[in-house]
Formats: sequence, structure tokens, C-alpha cells
Amino acid sequence: MELNKYQQEIFNHQRPNIEKFGRRAWGWTIFYLLWIGVGGYALYLQVVKGHEVTGMRDNVVWGLYIANFIFFIGISYAGAVISGILHILKVEWRKPIIRIAEMITVVSTIIGPVFILLCVGRLDRLHHLFLYPRLQSPITWDVLAIGTYFTGSAIFLYLALIKDFAIYRDAKLNVPKWKQKLYKVLALGYKGTPSQKKHISISMNLMAIMIVPLAIIVHSVLSWIFGMTLRPGWHSTIFGPYFVLAAIYSGTGVLIMAMWVYRRMYKLNSYIQDKHFVYLGYIMMILGAAYGYFTFSEYLTNWYGSEKWDNEVVSKLFNLKEYGWQFLFANVAGIILPIAIVAIPKTRKPNLIALVSLFMVIALWVKRYLIIVPTLETPLLPMQDTRPEFVKYSATWVEWALTLAGIATFFLFFTLMSKFVTIIPISEFGETEKTKAAIPETEAPKAKDTDTP
Amino acid sequence: MKKRFSENIKIKLLGAIVVAGLLSVASPLAGTAQTDSTAQNADATQQEPELISPSLEFAAVQKSDNSIDLKVRLRGKVNGQSINFYKIKISFFQVVNEEDIPLGFSITDGSGKTLFNVTGDSLKTDSEGNLHFKAVFAGNKAMDPAEEVVAMKRALLEMTPIKEDSLLSIQVKLSDLGTGPATPIKEATIGVFVKRSFLPLKVGEGTTDENGEATIEFPNGLPGDPKGNLTVIARLDENEIYGNLETTSVQNWGVPVSDKIENQPRALWSTHPPIWMLITFIVLMVTVWGHYIVIVYELFRLRKEKPHTS
Repeated sequence: MELNKYQQEIFNHQRPNIEKFGRRAWGWTIFYLLWIGVGGYALYLQVVKGHEVTGMRDNVVWGLYIANFIFFIGISYAGAVISGILHILKVEWRKPIIRIAEMITVVSTIIGPVFILLCVGRLDRLHHLFLYPRLQSPITWDVLAIGTYFTGSAIFLYLALIKDFAIYRDAKLNVPKWKQKLYKVLALGYKGTPSQKKHISISMNLMAIMIVPLAIIVHSVLSWIFGMTLRPGWHSTIFGPYFVLAAIYSGTGVLIMAMWVYRRMYKLNSYIQDKHFVYLGYIMMILGAAYGYFTFSEYLTNWYGSEKWDNEVVSKLFNLKEYGWQFLFANVAGIILPIAIVAIPKTRKPNLIALVSLFMVIALWVKRYLIIVPTLETPLLPMQDTRPEFVKYSATWVEWALTLAGIATFFLFFTLMSKFVTIIPISEFGETEKTKAAIPETEAPKAKDTDTP
Repeated sequence: MKKRFSENIKIKLLGAIVVAGLLSVASPLAGTAQTDSTAQNADATQQEPELISPSLEFAAVQKSDNSIDLKVRLRGKVNGQSINFYKIKISFFQVVNEEDIPLGFSITDGSGKTLFNVTGDSLKTDSEGNLHFKAVFAGNKAMDPAEEVVAMKRALLEMTPIKEDSLLSIQVKLSDLGTGPATPIKEATIGVFVKRSFLPLKVGEGTTDENGEATIEFPNGLPGDPKGNLTVIARLDENEIYGNLETTSVQNWGVPVSDKIENQPRALWSTHPPIWMLITFIVLMVTVWGHYIVIVYELFRLRKEKPHTS
């Protein structure tokens, strides 16, 4: 594969990242593995002793695990929708960030469903889900939808990587032989012929068109697990679009954070520029406003309707002695703060946008928790003659350890992937004259952020 | 709200502890085991020094088969909350000339109720033809004893279902058996009921004439069991002299109602999914996976292509 000037420049900049693992990478990898190890011990306890080591009981049967599941599937939207739409619209500035977005999609789609497995009590019967599926069950829809979505996301990421694999293959990188062989196999003999370019282009366009509706269907199906259930706070017609919007929103936040980390870690300021943060900040602001509108509409309707059980859930969310603080945080950090930071020109800076994205992502995780737990603590049939801990949910250290292990796995995947492929896709640049504009050399010095090492 | 909730829980827990102390642990089959739990409650008394005063409700029902149902319900208030005492031994006696003749015992169920059936032949009446029964809870370390007495004169309520063309009626006859041969009881109000899922449904009422008889119309078109059978009950309730009398008869007078729900337009629990769902699923899956197959095919062609530079 011959590289043009821009491609060579980008490749040379990132070449050391995939050739050397480095002490820092080793340090983080060990740290994440230790973190995962603690989670492994927690999982061992859960398998041996059963779900009694968790805070879940007959009444509140879902807790942290399901919140994590929705959260990770939600952030997977970063790649699916953002990169899919930007690809279809041929937006040039997408190129430096598209791979990060696609990686987020695949990694989070792997990790998310694992939390379902942690929540299932009888893993020995898991195969029944495939042997005896009931098409009428939203759980079956979910399994099929997520399986299909993961396959699509993995294909989308792989398609975008084939050309780069060919570049790595031909670059005679100073890497172990197994890695070279792997690049060769994954490159599928790509040499950049017009015919090959056409095949890749057709496939990419097909996947970009497919991935957007697929992602919407997946998260709608996920929301229907709640929406189809006659429980206060869940049985809502807007849950489908509400979940989809929240997912894209949180996905954008994670993408911004990942961009900030990679830009700082691998000194990618020339490629991931301030304008990328600002553009994604605008997307985040619009999504935040729409998400705020949905949130307001959902809770206003429930509150105004004052149906007995709905009212009880809403009163728990408004009561500072119950879930009031969490609800307040979810709305302030999840809606008001991101909009305000991006809306004010003076605060529209990469560091602040990244920071507010972090708050927003945490807030949206809290929101998922608030969707699940207060509703389950408000059963339609009152619980009588039972222990308080059976009615109220409180996550145990086992659940927290496995949650942190999930986050550590997410980071570990990213660390390993950034050592296997270049974060900035090389093949995306320089194929047309327009791409020149995507990385104007003169823009890099203008970057106003202060985090540049 | 939280405070009220925790108070509520506390009350219930306390009640549960007290009741649990009264319960037998001899058998997990609480409702069927004929065991007395009242002896095993030392723990409860340590936690609840004040004795509970139970309320014993006692009633007797004379049946048309010459037997008598003795019904008891034992309940009481624990910390202001009404509790049904279950797995409690209730002893039954017939009182004859101020002497208690033991009849047997039974154990209360989950709702604090128990029923003891005695046959009329073995019972002794007093000089006026009255029967006297006593139900006794002996008490335990946590609860005060309780007893109640009922008295009634021997009587017989008979029922004759009559069907003339489409007209249905129930003829009842009420007779005094207390003193010598049967004599009719007049001016007694007899109710006719149909057994339903929860409480009996009253369908008519009549007053006996000088022959002790009454004819009560019975409505057509009542929903019955899958065969159309109805359990008809004739009852004399809480009469000052005769107490409660009851007789039942099963008649094929109802409209057959299947206990199986046949019309299930939204039966998502059925074996097969609705056709629209199946079609939607197949269309979506074929579309998406079809695209995947096309893409994999494209990649396969990519791999097969002869390597040459552009």
C-alpha cells in the first residue's frame, strides 16, 4: 500500500504506539487486570454462594447489573449512530474520531450483555434461551437484537480497519511475528485496487445505512423490556425514543472523553483538534436539550396524572430523603451542565467539554439506576410481613466490585486495541483532495486547549 | 413516609414474632397437620410480657345430613393490628347438665379458622331439646385462654328443587326435632344462595308457612360450572332458637361456563406468537442478516482477488 504525504505523516506519528507496548501501557494493563481480578473473586463468591451475596431479593430483582447493562449498551451508540450518520453524510471532520467511536461501540456491546449474565441466577439454564425462545418475550427480542447489533458493529469496525491492516502489513513494523501474521490475515489481501476499493466502499455504505436503524431498534427493544411491563415509572409509550436519545447522548459523552484521553496520551492534537470537541459539544448540547425535554415530559405526565403507584415513584424521586439527591444530580449534571458549558462561548473549551461529559455520563448512569430501583421498590402488590432489606435495595460490595471490573475491562480493551491499531485511521485520509481540509496543518497551532503536553 | 413505613414493618415483625412463637414447627404443612403448637412458644413470651387476649368467634350450623358443623375463628389485636392466630388447638365440648363432654379438637388454619363436624346421633339434648356446645382455647404463655358457648334447638332444613317447564323454584321445609316427632316451624325466613368463588350469592328468600314450608323462585341463566351445575344452598341464619341451619343440593340449572379461557386475542403466553409478530421478526432478521451475508460475500471476493497494485 502506498501512502500519500498526509497518510505517511499520520502513520509515522502513531507508529511507535503500535510497535511498543511501553511501561505506562503495562502499568495500566496490570492495574486493570488487578481490578478485574477483584471482580473475579466477587463473581466466584456469587457463583458459590448464590445471589444472596448481592443486594437483589424477591422484590428488587434488578439492580446495579441491569443499570450497567443499559449504560454500556447506551454508550455503544457513540459508534453506531455518530459514525454511521457522519459516514453517510460524508462529513469530513469525522475521520480522526471515527475509529474511537467504532471501538466504543464494539467494546461496550461486548461488556454490556455480560452484566445480564451476572444478573441471571441459573446460568446452567442459559442455553434454554436459545433452545426454547419465545418470540413473544421482550427478553428474546433483546437477545436477538443485541446479537445482531454486535455482529453489525464488529463488521463495521472491521471494514474500516481492513485498509489500515494492509498498511500495517506493508509497513514492516517492528512487531512480533504473530502480530505481523495477524495483520496479514486481517488485511484480506487488500492492495488498494479499484475493484477492492469498490467492494469496501459498497460494504461500508451498506453497513453505515444498516447500523443506524439497527441501533435504534436495539435500544428501543431494550426500553420495551421496561415499557411493556405494567409497573409504575416503566409503562410509558415514550420509553423507546427516550432510551434511544439517552443512549446517543451518553455515547457522545463517552466519545468526547475517549477523544480527550487519546489526544493527551498519544499527543494527537494535530488530528483530534479543538473543533472536534466543539462540534461534538454542539451535538451533545442538542441531544441534551432533547433529552431534557423527554425527561420533563415523562415526569410531568406522571406527576400530573397522580396515579397512585406512579405518584409513589415520583414522590420517591422528589424526596431528598429517598432518591431526591440522585435525581437532582442526574438532571443538573446530565442536562443543565452540558448545555450551559457548550452554550457559553467562554466555556466552550476541550477540557471543560470533556469534564462536563464525564459528569454527564455519570449522571446518565445514575439515571439508569433511578429508572430501575425506585420502581422495583414500589410493587403493585404491597409487601407485607417481610424484612425491610427485602423491600429496599442496597448494592453489596460484590455488585460494586463486578461493576468496577466491567469498567476496568472497558479500559483494558481500549488500552490493548490502541496498541494493536492506530487510533487515527490512516487510510481515511488523503484519498481525496477534500480530506486535506480535514487536517489543515495551520489549524494545529491555533488549538487553545491547555492540556497539550 | 419512611418513618410510617418502618413503623409498619416493626408492627408486622412484632406480630409475626408473637404468632411465630405460637406456631408449631412440627410439620411444614401447616394447614393439614393436626398438631398443637401452643406448647412451643416460650421464646415469644420472653419478648412479649403482656398476654394477648384473643377473641374466639364460635358458631354452629345444623346440616341436613343430621350432622353439625362447629366453626371457630380465633383472632386478636397485637400492637393495634388485627392478627389471625393459626395453628392453634381448639377443643370442642358438648355441655350436658353443666358437664363438659369432650368431642375432639381441631387446629386453626392460616385465617385463624377451623371447623369441627359432629354427627347428630351421638349428641344429647337437654329437657327442652337444646344442644349446648363449647369451644375452648386453653391459652398459653403468650395468650390468655378463651372460650365461647353456643346453644340451639335441634331442627332440620330440607330442600326440594322443582323444575316446571322453564320455571325453577326451591321448596324448603323447616322442622323442629327438639322434642319428639318433627313439627313444622313457621314464620322463619329462609334464604336461597348459589355457591360462587368467594361468598355465596343470594338469589331469593322466603318465609315458612304453618306447614314449615316455603317456595322460593330461582332465577334462570346463572353461570354454572363447565357442565352447567350449580350448588344451591338454603340457609336459616342466626335464628334465636335454632341457630344456623343449612342444606345444599347440586342442580343442573346453570349456563355452562368453561373454566378454560378459549378466546385469547392477546395471548402472548400461548405457544405460538401472533402472525404479525412472526412476519415482522422474519422481515427484520432477513433484511439485516441478508445485508451481513452480502458484506461477508464482498469481503470473500476481496480476498479472492488477484493481488496487483492500482
